[in-house]
Amino acid sequence: MEKDASIKGGMTRKRKIASFFATLLFLILGLIVVFPVFAGLLASFRPGTELIRKGLSINLDVSTMTLANYKYLFSGNVDSVKYFTWFKNSMVLTLVTVVLTLIICYFIAYGLTMYQFKLRNFLFFLVIATMMVPFEILMLPLYQEMINLKLIDSAAGVILPAVCGASTIFFFRQYLTTVPKDLLDAGRIDGCTEYGIAVRIMLPITKPAFAAMAILCAMGSWNNMLWPMLVFRSAKKFTLPIGLNTLLTPYGNNYDVLIAGSMFGIIPIFIIFLCFQQYFIDGMTAGAVKG
Amino acid sequence: MKFKKIFYSQKAAPYVFVLPFLLSFIFFWIYPLFSTVTMSFQDITATGKEFIGFKNYTKLLNDKVFHTAMLNSFEYMILSIALLIPFPMLYAVLMDGNLVKAKGLWKALLYLPALTSVVISGTLFRLMFSEYSTGQMNVIMHALGFGSQKWLKVKATGLGALLTLCCWRWTGVNMLYFLSGLKSIDKNLYEAAEIDGASAVQKFRYITIPLLKPTTIYVFTISIYAGLAMFLESFMLWAGNASPNNIGLTIVGYLYRRGIEKNQMGYASAVGLVLLILALIINMVQLVLNGSFKKEER
Amino acid sequence: MKKKVIGLMVCMALVVSLLPGCSKDNTKDTSSDAAKEETSGGESGTDESAEVQPEAVTTVGDPKGTHMEIWSFVELHNTYYGKMVEKWNEKNPDRTIEATFTTYPYGDMHNKLIMSLQTGEGAPDICDVEVGQFPNVVAGVDTWLYPLDDAAQPYMDTMVPARMETYMGSDGHYYGAPFHVGATVMYYNMAALEEAGITQADVDAVVTWDDYTALGERYIAAVNQEGKYFTSVDTGGTDWLWLAMAEYGEDWTGGFDGKANIELDSVKNMLNMQVGWLQSGVAEVSPDGHVDLEAGFQNILDHNIVSFPKAMWYMSRFINYMPEEKGNWYIAPCPVFEAGQPDSVGIGGTGTVVTQQAADKELAADFLCYAKMSMEGEQMNWEMLGFDVCNTAMWTDESIIHDDANQYNSFFRNYPYDVLNKIKDNIGKISVVKISPTINEEICNVTLNAILEDGTAVDDALKSSQEVIDLEQ
Repeated sequence: MEKDASIKGGMTRKRKIASFFATLLFLILGLIVVFPVFAGLLASFRPGTELIRKGLSINLDVSTMTLANYKYLFSGNVDSVKYFTWFKNSMVLTLVTVVLTLIICYFIAYGLTMYQFKLRNFLFFLVIATMMVPFEILMLPLYQEMINLKLIDSAAGVILPAVCGASTIFFFRQYLTTVPKDLLDAGRIDGCTEYGIAVRIMLPITKPAFAAMAILCAMGSWNNMLWPMLVFRSAKKFTLPIGLNTLLTPYGNNYDVLIAGSMFGIIPIFIIFLCFQQYFIDGMTAGAVKG
Repeated sequence: MKFKKIFYSQKAAPYVFVLPFLLSFIFFWIYPLFSTVTMSFQDITATGKEFIGFKNYTKLLNDKVFHTAMLNSFEYMILSIALLIPFPMLYAVLMDGNLVKAKGLWKALLYLPALTSVVISGTLFRLMFSEYSTGQMNVIMHALGFGSQKWLKVKATGLGALLTLCCWRWTGVNMLYFLSGLKSIDKNLYEAAEIDGASAVQKFRYITIPLLKPTTIYVFTISIYAGLAMFLESFMLWAGNASPNNIGLTIVGYLYRRGIEKNQMGYASAVGLVLLILALIINMVQLVLNGSFKKEER
Repeated sequence: MKKKVIGLMVCMALVVSLLPGCSKDNTKDTSSDAAKEETSGGESGTDESAEVQPEAVTTVGDPKGTHMEIWSFVELHNTYYGKMVEKWNEKNPDRTIEATFTTYPYGDMHNKLIMSLQTGEGAPDICDVEVGQFPNVVAGVDTWLYPLDDAAQPYMDTMVPARMETYMGSDGHYYGAPFHVGATVMYYNMAALEEAGITQADVDAVVTWDDYTALGERYIAAVNQEGKYFTSVDTGGTDWLWLAMAEYGEDWTGGFDGKANIELDSVKNMLNMQVGWLQSGVAEVSPDGHVDLEAGFQNILDHNIVSFPKAMWYMSRFINYMPEEKGNWYIAPCPVFEAGQPDSVGIGGTGTVVTQQAADKELAADFLCYAKMSMEGEQMNWEMLGFDVCNTAMWTDESIIHDDANQYNSFFRNYPYDVLNKIKDNIGKISVVKISPTINEEICNVTLNAILEDGTAVDDALKSSQEVIDLEQ
């Protein structure tokens, strides 16, 4: 911090004070934000039953902390196997959802952007219209539909309704409108088919949009709970959030797994975030700016 | 062969590209939307369904629990908007200037909560707001010289806990929205204003707020939906869909209770449609008041 | 960039799938190894969780036998069925069973069960149904469920009839096999009471609620410490109200035919008495709503409350969650409003059903009734689950009920079945019918909180809740 200040030696005293308080504000905000996660992390080194009975609070007493919960989590016993089955399910589901969603939405957006055709504006209006109805309202009829289609308790039942995400289409469309259309004609002259152009020429240019959407979509899928909770019925198909929720029963004896598993479950998405922070922010805020 | 030729033609291509959307739209949007409308006029039981006209809706008029749920959702929506627009906007403005050090760190930290699943964050908050004297919030109360509170049993503190959770999760995200909105504002405007001798407050009032309007409207719109349709946060905070005096019951919570827990699809559909209509009306009013129909918004 | 992201995720997926890979086999057996591992892993938790940690029961029995899916919302129930499957297979080598057990969370399991019964597929062969949910399941009578009348016949002479009737369908057939009577008794922390100068004779002398209140006031005065109460009243449970109704012989559901009415004198008397206790400091409101939750266990462990009424099955909560309390507690009949009233009520319960989707319905029913009604089953039930079993043949078997090696007999200061035999003819019944979940939801969410937490007048709160309930009937 001092070094920083010396570089900007031109700062007036008043400015320095303002800068101090502004930074302090964010420091405080940062601490507040980290607090629950930090408390949870500390608690994960203590017996889970104690946590459920007495509530969560910061307890820095290192002497009572053990690695037992984590050892138990990785011990390979039934609970451990159960937990990692959920973990794996979440991974696979997230992966499949992301890949499918991105590919399909990219093509839809591509069709809507690169061609002038009769129904274009109408279709785009429909995309927007789907955004106007909260998912929670369609949840019940969709649930019935899944039962009728025999897609209940299957990954397909979870993935299919969400695969044409309006916001993802929207984002790709925004991105594709900035791509020069000349490339399209150039491709046609080179003898590419319409689909070849979309895949070989346009897709590589759209990579940054893919990255941003992949991350956003992965995050949504990893943390998604409401719909999978309705669709999945067998415990071996549960995803991590649903599985963790099942450990929250009044007479559970798996509170150790719950707390250690919860903390461990944050890690994958957090790693991805740290690696690709900028794409998160791009994807998240795309709708807001360009709207 | 003929099919292949059509398939590869420039005319057909866009339709091929858009086909998945059309299918998804029909199967997973139009169909459920229509079936929810139909169901809302039916009494659906284990044995069959029966058309009952507007009975579900007239029942809603007398249903005190539903009214509680509506009130809760509205209160939550209004308060969450009141908290999640001005503060993140202020933070974003600070972050956009050059006063704050180590910006990247704060951005990452404030974003962190959005990464955690509701299951985890809701549980953490529930345990922090435990009524037992060893819960974090009561520890703080004791340190301040007050007695233990039954946070999640009383309307005011329960709503407070819910809003705390909501702010904790979304402040960072909204800040990023505003930040990216600010990035698109031409910095020359500020310089020009400075030359004219405008104060920081004036610059904020006459440049930042008007030019940030599209972002604000966007955040406003999604906040209305998110607020009205909130469910999981309350579901996790009260460890289930039941809360004392129904203080945590939301419209979607009631829809879930009727539809999934009690298996009354017809009545639940009516609840859902009321929610949809309310959400649409509020957003239309909001968008008209903000004058955003002149340019094609969203 | 996309490749990088996907690559990263694939890597992580691989890592994760490898982690537990070495122990995958555990899921498919109940070998003692798995059990041992579990116990040693249990040291991470508190001591008691090591004890209740059930074995890794997923599939049990003879692989060549008839396959059955069994669901429960309590892991220990499944462990119990697993043991009974083994016993059954020994006794019936020609009708062996292989059972796969799944434990779901309470709400999910009932939702799934009802959905699968409605759609006609995906239901298990045998399923536990909590008594509060039973009306929803029995609504489908013999199109959904298989009647147990024939299979239960050999045991009917000595079964408690009220418990069989609890799980009867509208067609008069029995559809659920009960676990326990759930007789409500009063638990007293004698150790803490003695410290305050109250003897067992004082407790035995309590007949009416007035006596109980007086004893409570004496205790509070003797202890005179903030945060210490005689009992706790519930905002999230109806046990106190059920007891009051049974004492007066009332029933707010109105039974199968009548209309639900919660504005009963019994209910009002109980609630007014409780409001008085809260004002005089005899009672507090149970943390988190009732004593049968983790926060409630903690409250009992901290000796913040020293008495409460609860069904006999609460004994297992002591064993599993409060083992430190061994030797402290004494079980006695509940007080009554007026001497001579019945002093107990059957609360809670699990009716286990055989679905019409079962592979071999007759076999499933025979096994179920054997597991839950035969002497072998009842003995296992008492020893393992600590229930007050429904087959009264066991109640008088001295070798069982006075067996000091039994963990329940040795935990409490008196023999639980002695108390049970004392109240045998006084155990009332509150119906569980279609409107019950609605009543329960309204009372536990709204009414009790309004009265005990917010101070709403009893009559007003009940009236307002009655209106909500009327909307549903």
